[in-house]
Amino acid sequence: MHYIKAASSITHQPSFQQKGFAADLSPLSVAGEVIAPNYKEYIEGALLRRMGKILRMSVAAAKDVILQADAGQPNSIVVGTGLGCLLETEKFLTNTLTLTGMLPPTAFIQSTHNTIAGQISLILENHGYNMTHTQNTLSFEHALIDARLLLDEGQELVLVGAADESIPFLEEVSRNLLTASLPVLTSGASFFMLDTRVAEATVAIIDVKVHFGAEDRGAIVFDFLKEHDLSYPAIDLLMTPLSMQQQGLDSFGKVFAGTRQHTYLDYSGLYPSASAFGFHMAIDMMQMDRRIGYTLIINNLSANSLGLILLKNCEA
Amino acid sequence: MVPAAKISITGLGIVSAIGCGVEENRRALVEGQSGIGTTYSETLPEGLLVGAVKQSDQELLQRLRLPNGYYSRTSLLGMVAAREAWDGQSSHPSLRTGFIGATSVGGMDQTEQFYKQYLQGRKVDFKSLITHDSGYTMEVIAQDLGLTGYVNTISTACSSSANAIMLGARLLQQGRLDRVLVGGVDPLSMFTIQGFRSLMIYDEAWCKPFDDARVGLNLGEGAAFMVLENEKSIEITGRLPICRLTGWANAADAYHQTASSPDGKGATLAIGQALQKAGLFPEEVSYINVHGTGTKNNDLSESIAMQNIFGDKLPPFSSTKAYTGHTLAAAAAIEGVYSVLALRDGMLLPNLNFSTPLAETGLSPIVELQTGQDLTSVLSNSFGFGGNNSSLVFSSNGY
Repeated sequence: MHYIKAASSITHQPSFQQKGFAADLSPLSVAGEVIAPNYKEYIEGALLRRMGKILRMSVAAAKDVILQADAGQPNSIVVGTGLGCLLETEKFLTNTLTLTGMLPPTAFIQSTHNTIAGQISLILENHGYNMTHTQNTLSFEHALIDARLLLDEGQELVLVGAADESIPFLEEVSRNLLTASLPVLTSGASFFMLDTRVAEATVAIIDVKVHFGAEDRGAIVFDFLKEHDLSYPAIDLLMTPLSMQQQGLDSFGKVFAGTRQHTYLDYSGLYPSASAFGFHMAIDMMQMDRRIGYTLIINNLSANSLGLILLKNCEA
Repeated sequence: MVPAAKISITGLGIVSAIGCGVEENRRALVEGQSGIGTTYSETLPEGLLVGAVKQSDQELLQRLRLPNGYYSRTSLLGMVAAREAWDGQSSHPSLRTGFIGATSVGGMDQTEQFYKQYLQGRKVDFKSLITHDSGYTMEVIAQDLGLTGYVNTISTACSSSANAIMLGARLLQQGRLDRVLVGGVDPLSMFTIQGFRSLMIYDEAWCKPFDDARVGLNLGEGAAFMVLENEKSIEITGRLPICRLTGWANAADAYHQTASSPDGKGATLAIGQALQKAGLFPEEVSYINVHGTGTKNNDLSESIAMQNIFGDKLPPFSSTKAYTGHTLAAAAAIEGVYSVLALRDGMLLPNLNFSTPLAETGLSPIVELQTGQDLTSVLSNSFGFGGNNSSLVFSSNGY
């Protein structure tokens, strides 16, 4: 079994170092800015100045998780990101198209998706497995599956997280490409320490599943629960990105009619790996209310992808 | 403990500067024909040496018999290689099948054309941007083959496809999947060309991996995929194993965002752990297909790492980057295919453009093709930005 030893999120909500933050969240109506800590407390000045938003958020959240966990170096670092380091990518792309002669390399260096996991390894001086998954709205779930594989292979501590950043150009793209009315575009970074050892009162990850393809979602969810000898009423808390009505899944919503439900994008805003925020929100609620037994996070944000995470409150 | 599941490689597919398909690539390797030359495309700088795939996007579309639509070159190249490797296999109810691709820049070839027009204030088609994100470029390939379920994309710069292959192997070993199509793709783009130029590691002449006078790399493009199957899957599909994947490891160098450490720490860890996973002593490695980009920094750091592991008993080694150029996220899959061919056909591949060993280490790669060799295990190295170091071990079936 895999347990969540520590969690940290930097988002547009007061989520950073706020246990119980999920209890009184207000829906986000305007994007605004992320509620950032004083990054200088986490990142050395010269390095901080060179880092874009996504790197600052990710490194600070990762370091916070390491401090909270107080268990030393993780064996591995696994990160999911839907769109990667957009700010630096756009900056270097603009430079290649507008400048002549030798270009400054910093934006190129920081444009690759694995800059996040790489920077964390540099700062922690961590020589373990270092991985970056990028699968649209399922990037976090894929990172989580990889982290669980590592723990099943004998590792004890794995740092896993997800991050995405919004840039003004992305808003223009979304206005031109997306027709449905969706939540505001935002940024966010969430990191977690997974542990194979159980603490006194903790949340366990029971299973994580991803599915690409447009098959019957209801059947996949049903089978997923059945594999764990569970039926719909056994779920105490259900997290989804949008409401079932917003996604045209009314009939699907009915089977969970008696279950406490939250739609996490209302609070996080929209970014590809926002299910990591939903995951943190669920953990926080479960820690505050030990009566919540099972939690199911259904990530059906993209029409052809489905992510499922099953959590359970545990006592040692 | 359950004994580790055998992982067989049963299919290969490749497109690179030296050819379309496994056979064209094999022939060029044997004949010592490099695919690096001046650019084919009006969107890339004139006279620049690159390892381009010779077909245009339109020609690739026709070859694939696809209707016109929004496709990145990444997805097109990927489909060519993935179709060859997959070889028209059908889904099977009792086989859990997955797909793991790798790319560093996704559909950047389309994005940069869009963005150029956008900056010039010209009329732009935002729909072309749906091809940008890396996950989408791989979903297009999975859909083309009818693959659903576990579909994932890895992006760790120049080691990406080694990590995709490794993840596929781990999913098979843990019994999560029975067979998986794994590999990687990257297209040539101004973004990466100018990026490596800005780092001052782009050789404006032919790259010279492992040569003392090396000054940098030439970029290339391409795609390669391979089919990994467990024993249950082979019983059902009836496909013949070409060889096995026996070792893999990834380790962080944690030294610098782009440069490799002078002591080759991350590379040493990756090579050592991959051999350990394969259950091999260093002296049991028959051939090493090195990362060997031709940059001052990589080739020296990789040399030190190899000396750390192999001491003065270094197996024959060579870099094939002077054939294809550095194909970034596709490199490990392309070189994985070459490693499998070396093993299958008993050949040591030549390292083109080499004349003088590195002053610091004195190591000399294989420079002439050697055939009729009895190879049992081949090590393939791939190292990327962010200190991302990966090694794979391919072993012959009987080994």
